[in-house]
This record gives sequence, structure tokens and C-alpha cells, in this order.
Amino acid sequence: MSRIACITGTRKGIGRHLANHLLAQGWTVVGCSRRESDLEHPNYTHFCVDVTDEEAVVAMVRKIKREIGPIYALINNAGTASMNHILLSPKKSYDRIFDTNVLGTFLLLRECGKQMSRHGGGRIVNFSSIAHPLNLEGEALYAASKASVESITRTAAKELANYGITVNAIGPTPIETDLIKNVPEASMQALLQRQTIPRFGTCEDVANCVDFFLRDESAFVTGQTIYLGGVA
Amino acid sequence: MATNREQVLQIILETLHELGEDLELPELLTADENTRLFGARSALDSMNLVNFIAEVEERVSEDIGVDILLANQNAMSMTHSPFRKVASCTDYALTLINKEEQAAEA
Ligand SMILES: NC(=O)c1ccc[n+]([C@@H]2O[C@H](COP(=O)([O-])OP(=O)(O)OC[C@H]3O[C@@H](n4cnc5c(N)ncnc54)[C@H](OP(=O)(O)O)[C@@H]3O)[C@@H](O)[C@H]2O)c1
Repeated sequence: MSRIACITGTRKGIGRHLANHLLAQGWTVVGCSRRESDLEHPNYTHFCVDVTDEEAVVAMVRKIKREIGPIYALINNAGTASMNHILLSPKKSYDRIFDTNVLGTFLLLRECGKQMSRHGGGRIVNFSSIAHPLNLEGEALYAASKASVESITRTAAKELANYGITVNAIGPTPIETDLIKNVPEASMQALLQRQTIPRFGTCEDVANCVDFFLRDESAFVTGQTIYLGGVA
Repeated sequence: MATNREQVLQIILETLHELGEDLELPELLTADENTRLFGARSALDSMNLVNFIAEVEERVSEDIGVDILLANQNAMSMTHSPFRKVASCTDYALTLINKEEQAAEA
């Protein structure tokens, strides 16, 4: 039987690409997003679940185990951003960003981690961003949420190591998805110039890192964040 | 009909018996209400306690049909943990199950 990957945020963007990517490799993929997805594939199942809704996340993870099988890989991709000067950022933005990026990551990690711990281990891949190491102006809340994701990644790596679960993160550079469509062109160009390799990232660049973390040979790699574009 | 204590106790004991077989821990094969789940005199270390809790949550969801979370802010407290003994763990799980059942009826 093929291995099962749970990917959050598969309706569009990077998550959607990763779902197709793993399906093409023969994985069974379960995806979720708040809205319906039009991704159709015999080995794909979609759940309309908001990652910030604890009850819905618990019910989904248990249903996956009952009806499809135990999850081997969790790709904690669902995320949200907003650009604003910190002095002009409403609490609403804080709530939305931290709920989706941090709470959502934690809930999925907890529920899938419990399942993996009893089925011989697994792989968890979280999503950071270069906004954190570059301390990007205008992205204070987003960068802070991704700093939290990296911290959870490192601590969870330690707590889950004994169960054969690795926990790592990917920090993409800007990739042309809806997430960044409202960022002004000039700021975007200035940002790209701060990377070692000054170009937009692609979903394929992210998929390559995901493949690396998911490989059996990567069992000794945990607690790491890989930034794209040569950002350190 | 509301779940009763006996059903929950049975799930917990079955889980412990199976863990005892898997981990070759004879203390768990004879587990009863007084068996300690947590602390220095428990047969379960913290890693196996996590496995035990995850398994109970899943069995409750499969056998009784309600989703409970046994995660508790006092889980690792010596004096207040609901996981001190099988008896306290049973009571705690039953309270959560009945709460879910009542909410579903309402
Ligand atoms: N694109 C970039 O430049 C970039 C750079 C660095 C890091 N990242 C990170 O990469 C990840 C994916 O970003 P993306 O560019 O693909 O974003 P995107 O195009 O905006 O897509 C976000 C996906 O997440 C889902 N989603 C959002 N909130 C959700 C919630 N509360 N519950 C469940 N699903 C939710 C969305 O579907 P619904 O709307 O239907 O829920 C959608 O499928 C994020 O973690 C982001 O921070 C992206």
C-alpha cells in the first residue's frame, strides 16, 4: 500500500502543487482547506477543514486513520500573510496570522504526531519563510508567526525523536502565488535583491526540499529549517 | 444512551494489556484500577504514556463514536494529573465522553 501524506492548504498555491507532486510519485494524499478543491485524482481525498478549528482537525485526522490509513507524512503548508506597517496593524491581522500559521501548525502536528507515534514514526514538514531571518519590514506579524513555527519545529523534533518522527521546516523565498499578489512591485524587487540568488522561487523548488525531508534516507535529519534562495 | 464507567474502564485496561504485550511489561498485563500510569512507580515511561493516551483517544472515537482529547494542562503533574492511576484516568475520560454526548443531544 502506498504511504499517506496529509497536506494542509491544498486548494491552491504551493499546497496544491505539492499534492499533485506527491500523487505523481504514487503517494496517497489527503488535503484540506476551508473551501472545496477541484483537484480530482483516485488517490486524493479532500476535507473542508479550517486548520484553526481544533474539533474539526481532531475529527479529520481520526477519520483519515479509520477510512484511509495511518498518516506517514504531514505537510503543514496552510498559511496566511498580510503586509502592513507594524504601527498600522490591527489585532485582527495578528489573530488571523497566528491562528492559521502557529495554532494550525500546532494542532495538526499534535494530532498527526500522536498517530505517527503509534505506527512506527513519520515525517513532519512545517512552513516558515525568509521573512523571519531577513526581518522583513512590513511583515512583522507574519515573520513573528514563522519564527514561532521554527521554534516549534526544533522543540518538537526533540520531543518526537524517540518515536521515529522527524520534524523540519522549509523557508521559501517569494513564490508567485496569491499569497504575495498584493505586495508592491518595487518592494518585491528590493526583497529579491537581498537573496543570494535573486529570483522568485518556484513550487518545484519547494517540492525538492519536501522530497528530501520525506526520503527514508533522511531519518537522521531533524529540527532543521532549509531556506531557499541562499538566505541564511 | 450515556456511556458508563465500565465501558471506559474496559477500553483503558485493554489498551494497557496490549501495550504490555507489545512492550513486554508484565505489570501491564495484570493492570487494574489501582495501576499507576504516571510517576516513578509506574510501568509506563513518559514516551509510553503518550502512546497510551493516543491509543485511548482513538479507541474512544472508534468504539464509542465521540472525539475526546485527553490532553490536559495537569497531565504531567504529580498531584493533579488525571493519569496518576487507571481509576482517575477512567473517571476523567468518562467526564469528557459524557460531556460530548450531552452536547450532541442538545
Ligand atoms: N508564496 C510565497 O511567496 C511564500 C513565501 C514564503 C512562505 N510561504 C508559505 O508557504 C505556504 C503556502 O503559501 P501559498 O503561497 O501557497 O499561499 P496561498 O496561495 O495563499 O494558499 C494558501 C492555501 O492555504 C489554505 N488555507 C488558508 N488558511 C487556511 C485555514 N485556516 N485552514 C485551512 N486551509 C487554509 C488556502 O485554502 P482556503 O482559502 O480554501 O482555506 C490555500 O489552499 C504558507 O505557509 C506560506 O506562509 C509562501
